[in-house]
Amino acid sequence: MTTYYDEVQELKQRYPDRRSAVLPALRLAQAKHGHLSTDALRECAEAIGTTPAYCEAVASFYDMFHLAPVGRHLVEVCTNISCALVGARQVLEAFEQELDVTAGETTEDGAVTLRPIECLGGCGWATIVAVDHGYRTHVQPDDVPGIVQELRDGD
Amino acid sequence: MSTPETVTLTIDGVSVEVPRGTGLVEAALAAGIEIPVFCYEPRLGAPVGACRMCLCQVEPGPPKPQAACTLTAQDGMVVRTALTSPVAAEAQNATLEFILVNHPLDCPVCDKGGECPLQDLTFRYGPGNTRMTFPKRTFEKPIPVSPLIALDRERCILCYRCTRFSEVVAEDGQLVAVNRGAGSMIATFDDEPYRAPFSGNVVELCPVGALTSTTYRFEARPWEIQDVPTVCGMCPVGCNVNATTREGKVKRILSRNHPEVDDGWLCDKGRFAYGHLHAQDRLRDPLLRVRRRGFEEVSWERALDEAERLLREAAGRIVTALSGSETVEQAYALAKLLRQGLDAHAAVFCEEISDALDAFRVPLSAIRDADLVAVLGDAPVVERAPIVDLWIKDARRRGARVLHELDEGAVQSADRAILVWCGPGGHGGATVAALAQRLGAAGAFYLPETANGRGVCDAWAAAADVEPTNPEPTNPEPIGLLIVSGDEAAANPDVRALAEQAERVLVVSMFHGVAAGWADLVLPGTSYLERDGTYVNLEGRVQRLRRAVIPPAPDELAWLSKLAERFGVEIQPYPSAVFEEVSGIAFGGIPFGEIGERTPLPAATTEPAAAAVEAPPPAAAADGGLRLVRYRALFSGPAVERIPELQFQRPRPEIELAEADARSRSIRGGDEITIRSNGTSVRLRARLSRELRAGVLRVPEEYAGDLQPTVEIQT
Amino acid sequence: MATDSKRIVLAGVDEHDLTKLADYESIGGYSALTKARAMTPQAVTDEVIASELRGRGGAFFPTGRKWSFVPKPDQNPNPHYLVVNADESEPGSFKDNEIMARVPHRFFEGCLIAAHAVESRHIFVYIRGEYTGPYEVLVSALEELETRPDLRGDVTIVVHRGAGAYICGEETALLESLEGKRGQPRTKPPFPAVQGLYASPTVVNNVETLATVPAIIELGGAEYAKLGVPDSRGTRVVSISGHVERPGNYEIENGLSMRELIYGLGGGIPNGRTLKAVIPGGSSTVILRGDEIDVGYDFTSLLKLNTAMGSAGVIALDDRCCMVQLGIRVSEFYEHESCGKCTPCREGTRWMTQILRRLESGEAVQSELDLLLDVCDRINGKCLCPLGETAAIAVASYVDKFRAEFQAHIDEAGCPFGDSSPLHDVPAPVSLHASSPAAAEFV
Ligand SMILES: Cc1cc2nc3c(=O)[nH]c(=O)nc-3n(C[C@H](O)[C@H](O)[C@H](O)COP(=O)(O)O)c2cc1C
Ligand code: SF4
Ligand code: FES
Repeated sequence: MTTYYDEVQELKQRYPDRRSAVLPALRLAQAKHGHLSTDALRECAEAIGTTPAYCEAVASFYDMFHLAPVGRHLVEVCTNISCALVGARQVLEAFEQELDVTAGETTEDGAVTLRPIECLGGCGWATIVAVDHGYRTHVQPDDVPGIVQELRDGD
Repeated sequence: MSTPETVTLTIDGVSVEVPRGTGLVEAALAAGIEIPVFCYEPRLGAPVGACRMCLCQVEPGPPKPQAACTLTAQDGMVVRTALTSPVAAEAQNATLEFILVNHPLDCPVCDKGGECPLQDLTFRYGPGNTRMTFPKRTFEKPIPVSPLIALDRERCILCYRCTRFSEVVAEDGQLVAVNRGAGSMIATFDDEPYRAPFSGNVVELCPVGALTSTTYRFEARPWEIQDVPTVCGMCPVGCNVNATTREGKVKRILSRNHPEVDDGWLCDKGRFAYGHLHAQDRLRDPLLRVRRRGFEEVSWERALDEAERLLREAAGRIVTALSGSETVEQAYALAKLLRQGLDAHAAVFCEEISDALDAFRVPLSAIRDADLVAVLGDAPVVERAPIVDLWIKDARRRGARVLHELDEGAVQSADRAILVWCGPGGHGGATVAALAQRLGAAGAFYLPETANGRGVCDAWAAAADVEPTNPEPTNPEPIGLLIVSGDEAAANPDVRALAEQAERVLVVSMFHGVAAGWADLVLPGTSYLERDGTYVNLEGRVQRLRRAVIPPAPDELAWLSKLAERFGVEIQPYPSAVFEEVSGIAFGGIPFGEIGERTPLPAATTEPAAAAVEAPPPAAAADGGLRLVRYRALFSGPAVERIPELQFQRPRPEIELAEADARSRSIRGGDEITIRSNGTSVRLRARLSRELRAGVLRVPEEYAGDLQPTVEIQT
Repeated sequence: MATDSKRIVLAGVDEHDLTKLADYESIGGYSALTKARAMTPQAVTDEVIASELRGRGGAFFPTGRKWSFVPKPDQNPNPHYLVVNADESEPGSFKDNEIMARVPHRFFEGCLIAAHAVESRHIFVYIRGEYTGPYEVLVSALEELETRPDLRGDVTIVVHRGAGAYICGEETALLESLEGKRGQPRTKPPFPAVQGLYASPTVVNNVETLATVPAIIELGGAEYAKLGVPDSRGTRVVSISGHVERPGNYEIENGLSMRELIYGLGGGIPNGRTLKAVIPGGSSTVILRGDEIDVGYDFTSLLKLNTAMGSAGVIALDDRCCMVQLGIRVSEFYEHESCGKCTPCREGTRWMTQILRRLESGEAVQSELDLLLDVCDRINGKCLCPLGETAAIAVASYVDKFRAEFQAHIDEAGCPFGDSSPLHDVPAPVSLHASSPAAAEFV
């Protein structure tokens, strides 16, 4: 079994400078720990050969890293212009209702975190909802219960 | 007119010629014009152009204002600052308005008030009133970044000076910016303290009151203080400092930037250890041992009578143990009394010092320009002479190879190789001088353990009224009187062993308790911040100490002069007079008055002193064991022990070992391991080092117990 | 996509599965690479110069000229890098998404030709982290390519994923991010061509730019330059979104009229509504009123209207849309995406949002409208990189073009559109980061 440490060593090989592996190493750590806890950041720092503070500085710059705990599933609704124009707010509200959370929160059972997100680069297929990073296109409020059910069934 | 080495440009109509490569900010200064800056600080590496305070109109170039701090002067450039360009003036005003949008207007209660660049620039260029009617960004404040440093995030203007220092200069990677955009803030990881030898510099770098020192907070206002230019006495580098005083007390230590010595940086020991002046157990009166009852405070008259009696009774069978922290003048006065007045020549120096190095004398800043730096001797540089570590890091960033062992071929083929000896052995630098000679190095340093070891040795030698004795005077048997001059000597185990054999012991010490139980007479000592005189640093630079505050007891020179009188030896109680006397013998006759605020380095001697070439010790000990290097940690010693805020910087119970040694024994960083030698053993956490040679272990003195120089790791 | 006016980059996508190497080769794929490798690097660069190709990432810089700035290996012995900007995060743009997903091999072919031209043996593709779909397509295309040393040659290609930061599309921020740092832009000069990735000579090009290169080599630069209009040669993949019947990506010959884009290709405005405004080139461009669209979609024509093609993201807004609400959403986006390095952008975008929110809520007084414009003005031209400046320019253009509407918010002490505007009260993004660390006592 390859450990996190070993995987990061391999990542480092791809780049002329080991520090370039920080982003992929953080992504791996997040996958392993669910979010970038202080332990996850320490582990990443150790594997890269830098300080945990450095890893936190980098991680907290990027929206895809979670420095606070998140649900097992992530539902991200694009609320930028093009999606908003065709009803992103209504889609987001439908998720809020269906999941009984406010945007930015995690369901009580820790299953799903819901958040609005900036333009996902699918404006022509709006509204875009990224469910565990997979894009759903043309999402309408009516589609929301089905998506939530899918997540619950998958658990 | 420009030459191949210079360029000529016009700034606000003033034509100025500057060396090629000069930054615009400096070029403007040369023309007598100030371009205001916040983020720009050349010592922090390449400019970042973040704050936008320096916007100017520059031709040729795009029509919009340019960040002057990121540009270098070019021939024919026409620069217009806020003084002559409405565009630049509007830009500066805009930047200030944006900075102030979220900056609290709390100057009256801010510790930076009165010496704050933001406050000053706001008065000069800023908007008269605020148009910002929204709630400002708020943060919990102030929060401790460490026991030494407080952070007020609301005042932070995100110039990134502090984080750049941590990342680029000290390379400790501990103080960082987290989050993005308007949510960005300065932080340490998981609220852990910023624990690194140079952390305090960020307080001086911060252009606003965001980072302040906990030891200075609310202690004084700029108009109540006086800065005394002096030199740090905590290590052999001798950083140039200003001691800020208020009502006769030292309130803080700031850098006074000697570009050849310290480049404006200080270590936390030099910056924060001044509190030892006010230690609870500071000695103010002489102490005399009274039978078994311990010490009794006595008057100075009585103390001098006792000292005279001790000196006379010993009838020349005297040994003097020196600390290496005495000023040249004190050491000379003591030596003159003993050597000329009492014919007592035996002395114990804290360390050996050789003048063979004078032939390879270069300023510390030469390290930065080296293409190869070989650090020999196996002790950690940062613990002995911290600033030297920063110079070496700077060299590495500029592309120099930094070796931690002797690769003779590499040294010989380098253009500008610098050798640095840090560790046991080395004969006070004679070994490294000989190596430099043989390998053609451009410069060589020996890092002594004491602040003025060189000056003290020179002064002691200068006071010999006889031809230099050969062989060296040996200790009398039995020792009639042991004189222990200063706390470092008192803490030295070898000196303590001598004290056991001596019939009588006289100690000069700053603190109660140091000499309890083994001294017959204790005279109160003074600190470098309370003295006037000179120190000789590790480069061989004679630097001037100025008395920042009056000591609580007469200083050493004062009572030495009185004591000497009783033996018919004439010693002036004035450092200037004493120095003139020593200078003629030891320092080429430089007059006291000529040791300015920033002393130049004397030229290297041309004739290298003959010294036997000796290889540095091999990494592994002869019998296959590992070689143990014990070192005095930077954050240790009598002064540090007395500063509560510095305790978190004390060394951790760790042993450093080379990655290769760890790997071959399957030891990982953080593992507890046992080191043993000759029946004693010590259990410590392992820390892996990329610098250490295989076969060598390093442990701070306080955790090394009775371990011998050759040890093995029990697995 | 049947109505695309001209296909170069997306040629063949409807007829073939061009994600497969074999299919791509069956329509002549990778022959341009073979042809280019038989030419000298200089000759390849010359062809691209002749094509008058300009970068498709937004800045529209002539591609061949950019390549010619790279020092020759004997002038700078450091490794040379080709870095692909696949960070596409500009609101309104989704063209690179489709290009990577559908013609990955044409894209890689372009990369390999460019690498040959600038004598680089290291290609990094920086793809935005959210693009998992295109990422997987690239990875499998790359796996196929790895089995063909005759095509890949001695060039290594690393696909590097971003992690959610619009600013990393700015080329120097991208390089910082690729070096494992916070993605904050660097000051220029030095330019990447001289000191880019790892301080070595580096070319940064957009996905579409590179995906165009094989056609240029195949057709010859002069032939390619016959397409389009002066200053805007060739084709462009345009992303159309918002209030149109048929949103999507359309490859057009540069210079096509915007009316044709919206009413022809886009199918017009749905639900019988009228066109109020058009954002012509992604959220960072100056807005056009609905009556300003009789203009060619090309650099020069749009410049006459003080706007630009930018990243070719055309967003149509119908008559229900409130321009103050649009301002809030756009300003919030830039505030959220500001890297925090330079003062005017970090503080100014936040301030802009605050003023706009007051305008929308009807609390603002007259002077605040001027203040908004003044804040925009004070950001503009003072920033370290274009992010803050484009935010200011875009928002100021909403006021400029729809001043009466902004005024109405003050006069009527509230929003005349309210809930009927689709942009009403759209929540801004949330970062899933821990909040400010709590104070701890160390002493
Ligand atoms: C804030 C900002 C965001 C940018 N985002 C992108 C982007 O997502 N993709 C892109 O190709 N170029 C983007 N650019 C432009 C790049 O800086 C750069 O000009 C481009 O990648 C060069 O490639 P090209 O010459 O092929 O167009 C952005 C620029 C700025 C200032
Ligand atoms: S704390 Fe001070 S030095 Fe650090 S970024 Fe803020 S203002 Fe600058
Ligand atoms: S001083 Fe030039 S941008 Fe800060």
